[in-house]
Amino acid sequence: MKPATSALAKSAALLLALASISCLAQNNPAQTSPAPTPAAPATGSTAPAHPAPSPAPPSPFNRTVILLDPAHGGLDSGSRISESIVEKDVTLTFAFKLRSLLAARGFSVVMTRDSDAATLPNTPGTPLTLDDRAGIANHAHPVACLLLHATAAGAGIHLYSSELDAPDPNAAETFGAPWLTAQAAWVTQSQRLQKSLGLALTRANIPLVQSRASVRPVDSLTCPALVVELAPNAGDNASLIDSTYQQHVAEVIATALVFWQNQAQPPDRATPTPTGAQP
Amino acid sequence: MIPRHQRILFWCLFACIVAMGVFLFLERKRARDRIGALADATPIDAPYSNTESVTLDLASDADGSVTATTRPIALPDEIAPRARALLEHLVAEYALPGSPHPLESGAAVDDVFLLPLPVVGHALDTSGSATSAKPTQSGGNTTIPVASTDPNALQPQTPGGELAVINLRSSFVNAHPSGVEVESLTLLSMIGTLHANLPQIEQIRFLVDGQQRETLAGHADLLRTYPSHDTTIQATVPDSP
Repeated sequence: MKPATSALAKSAALLLALASISCLAQNNPAQTSPAPTPAAPATGSTAPAHPAPSPAPPSPFNRTVILLDPAHGGLDSGSRISESIVEKDVTLTFAFKLRSLLAARGFSVVMTRDSDAATLPNTPGTPLTLDDRAGIANHAHPVACLLLHATAAGAGIHLYSSELDAPDPNAAETFGAPWLTAQAAWVTQSQRLQKSLGLALTRANIPLVQSRASVRPVDSLTCPALVVELAPNAGDNASLIDSTYQQHVAEVIATALVFWQNQAQPPDRATPTPTGAQP
Repeated sequence: MIPRHQRILFWCLFACIVAMGVFLFLERKRARDRIGALADATPIDAPYSNTESVTLDLASDADGSVTATTRPIALPDEIAPRARALLEHLVAEYALPGSPHPLESGAAVDDVFLLPLPVVGHALDTSGSATSAKPTQSGGNTTIPVASTDPNALQPQTPGGELAVINLRSSFVNAHPSGVEVESLTLLSMIGTLHANLPQIEQIRFLVDGQQRETLAGHADLLRTYPSHDTTIQATVPDSP
């Protein structure tokens, strides 16, 4: 019985010692925190009372810049509207009209070509590829990119946005975007721009076709981008070079872009995460 | 006695008649060759006679719509010839007078190839074990299927999904009207028709005479892989933003 009594007494003493140590630890937690190691940085020990506000991310576009891409040019005539009318001439004339109206409304207009020849601006002898056109557009950071085309089929205006699907917001974010799918992040904004222009054209009683299409280089653009195809008025192919018809359409588009200037939003992936939302 | 000038006149008229006969014969032969070149009726698939109701997605240039329409058509049973026959009937509809999406008549599709997804390559089996499924002998060497390491490689959405490669004829592509709308409607019409009748086709690529081409007629992209989906489009009426 004696050894059993002494073992019991030892266990009780041990338990009492542990209980007293835990009480002391609760009363003075700083004493139980591990001592900082010499390798720990000194600045890490004191957190700033008020964290400095992070600088606002740069806006992905300039709200006063519009890009116009008169399709084709040079050896590439585009579609043949009639014996004497080719698409490249119609798109350039229409782009000039649109540029004047946009400039009058305070926009700065960037054009991928301003003459018949489609060549690089710095190297006149080098032909302008579709990728070059997308590069010019992406460097300008415009609030809207309009790729201008013309056709003898249909009537009025045909508006096309990219066929790419918007990226899954739950998918893991990757650095950069593939060249051929760069427009995916902007598809939602492009479709909003399409609705905005479509509404303005319908109100102006201009026949309208809206859809999605895969027309290079729209999928490589990092801006709200649309393909705007000018079609004849009332089935008359000659109306494509009619100054009055072109001016009417250009005025409607320019006015709609003034409203779009303030409606445009950054793409979802470019939207900064609210600071308070993080745990 | 027939006067000399009348005999000369007679033989001149006779020579003219013979010359006109020869000329008409040659022109007839030339016209037949020209018509025969337009309508290539060379039988490629086995004849089939049972008609069935199929869905053709027909486009309209006026309002940019694509509408599903049912037609009774005789089609082969095998999938690839069936796909080719569907597309030929579709283009034939567009070649009819008064078509809302007018295209040139003539053969449009050279062939349709179906590839099971995911697309795999083949490599020489250097290990010698050849334990993988169904190795093939090629020139005395054993080859094994190799899955692509490309993360963007084509993947099936469902087991058994296939990639359809449509080999268009250059005569059809070169004569196709140019424009964003007309070219897009042609592609959407073909994609929608295949989707409606052959659901196992999940993705579609286009070739022209066996080669890649950037665009159909200067606008619609032919280099990308199109997902097979319902492409019917109603005439658009924009709603308020």
